[in-house]
Amino acid sequence: MRDKLTSKNIIFGLLIGFFPIFMYAVDYITLLLSYRDIYLPTPSGDYILYIAVQVGLYTLLAIGLNIVCGFTGLLDLGYVGFYLVGGYTAGLLMVRLGFSYWMVLPLAVLNGALWGLLRGAPTLRLTGDYFAIVTFGFAELLFRIVKNEIWLIGDINGFVKNIPRASIFGIELNQNWHHYYHILVLLALVIFVTYRLQHSRVGRAWVAIREDEQAAASMGINISRYKSLAFAVSAAIGALGGAFLAPFWSSISARSFEFWESILILCMVILGGKGSIKGAVVGAIIIGSLSEVLREILSNFPQFGGARYLIFGIILVLLMRYRPEGLIFKRA
Amino acid sequence: MEQFSEQLINALVLGGIYALIAVGYTMVYGIIQLINFAHGEIFMFGAYFAFTLVTVFNMPFWVALPLSMLLCAMIGMLMDLVAYRPLRNAARLSALITAIGVSIGLQNLARIIWGARQRPFPQESLPAFLRQGFPPTESLPAFTLTETAIALPGGAYLPYRDLFIILLALGLMIALNRLVTLTRIGKAMRACAQNRVAANLMGINTNKVIVITFAIGSALGAVAGIMVGIREIIEPTMGYYKGVAAFAAAVLGGIGNITGAMLGGLLIGFAEVFGAGYIPYGYGSGYRVAIAYIVMIAVILVRPSGLFGKSTATRA
Repeated sequence: MRDKLTSKNIIFGLLIGFFPIFMYAVDYITLLLSYRDIYLPTPSGDYILYIAVQVGLYTLLAIGLNIVCGFTGLLDLGYVGFYLVGGYTAGLLMVRLGFSYWMVLPLAVLNGALWGLLRGAPTLRLTGDYFAIVTFGFAELLFRIVKNEIWLIGDINGFVKNIPRASIFGIELNQNWHHYYHILVLLALVIFVTYRLQHSRVGRAWVAIREDEQAAASMGINISRYKSLAFAVSAAIGALGGAFLAPFWSSISARSFEFWESILILCMVILGGKGSIKGAVVGAIIIGSLSEVLREILSNFPQFGGARYLIFGIILVLLMRYRPEGLIFKRA
Repeated sequence: MEQFSEQLINALVLGGIYALIAVGYTMVYGIIQLINFAHGEIFMFGAYFAFTLVTVFNMPFWVALPLSMLLCAMIGMLMDLVAYRPLRNAARLSALITAIGVSIGLQNLARIIWGARQRPFPQESLPAFLRQGFPPTESLPAFTLTETAIALPGGAYLPYRDLFIILLALGLMIALNRLVTLTRIGKAMRACAQNRVAANLMGINTNKVIVITFAIGSALGAVAGIMVGIREIIEPTMGYYKGVAAFAAAVLGGIGNITGAMLGGLLIGFAEVFGAGYIPYGYGSGYRVAIAYIVMIAVILVRPSGLFGKSTATRA
């Protein structure tokens, strides 16, 4: 990753870096054409940019989930719980106590890591489906709490409204291209940290635990320490995603943190191939764009509102049947 | 006292329903070590099938009930053939992820077919004694029979419908117990649960046994779904909520243990009704589902083998 400054990678990087400019150029061209009464049937560039931010957020979450699911090989069905912790930490601190976003961001990450450790401590010795079930129950409990504790959240159904936008150098980050570069920076940070962890002693310990816990323990790897670290890092990334979400949407509700979100993120990790950062990124881009496009298409057919998740269910079943190692990248 | 008796009846009914669903989870887990996440969806389909048969095809309730059981059994068998059988020798977590995929798929299929809104079961299509009754305004002496309920000492009423559900659940549980302990197929099931490979070597067609297990579990789940449908409401997410609670019951009873699942179902029913009933108003209902989650997590963390299960080595 650090080496190849090939022309392909440079073009790729430029494409990502200047994506908003292309999108606004598209908007400008459609505007110019509309003066001449030519209307293109394309969605607006600004909207595509918005979807790109959503996909970026999902990518962030997929990378975080991949740490537990891919590196340590434990099936986490409650990842959305940390996303929720981050979202509500940021949202409530900003709305209630007037904290600035840049103060809230590290606090949310720390809080996420704390919850990761809290959930991790009792589940250290669980494996397989028991671990999966406990993580699932944990996320559902958090969901119930934000849905019901009105004194804590301040509104029914976990609504936190009017979350102030983040601002930098006095400029409020309220445009889609602001969000785009914002999530890009966070993603770069997360990918860098995860990549360095993966290719360090820690990452090798995680993989050793995944392959054979007992063998790893007998080789002197401190299982609980490394597992706890994986839980904490993974949870911190999830909380980072939540903290980004709060000012990005400027209102959050319990509905954003339902169980199916966890499955959506899991679907991304599995599609790309568990245990590979690149896989998580590609899986998130595919499933994330599919999800947003389907949401847009299906909004015209309210009776088919469920079709989006039906398709993800089918994707999961087919993947497990034909490509359990992932569609794109084989596990290293 | 009156409130207590009503809660007791509610708990027994809910417990019976959970027991019916929980045996489906536990039987499948006992044989192929798979948490069949989609079992809750079968339960939901049972309710919708009966609803459709009664409303669209104008069938009498007593025809719709066995027919939906049959349809659900077929879905269960199909699910095993299409989704789970190809993964029989794959990693355990692959099968679990498949089960989750099937679950989301079926739930949203139901949402597409029947719509997301809640539907009440048409009461007029039910036999008279299963209809929803309203307690009489003046208090009747104990053991008076009204049109829909029996007056109990203490001022509470036991609706025939609830009595019917309790007796039906009890009867089906006894029948299942007889089936598993006395018949040939039951013996084959127990053999598969003990050691599938050895059972296969002894000439048992394990695939057939597994399919039959799915069919039986799904049919019982369908009964539970219809009972919830006529008593509460039908909606696409009902299988998810009730399914998790029933799974908690199976875990509580020791997953893989059929008697344990029955007792676990009853316990979860009691915990939920009395927990929700005596937690200050407004809170209890919101956390109703959470009680089952808490029990489930606590059991897995403290005693993974459940109350009645034999403890085994770590499951990988």
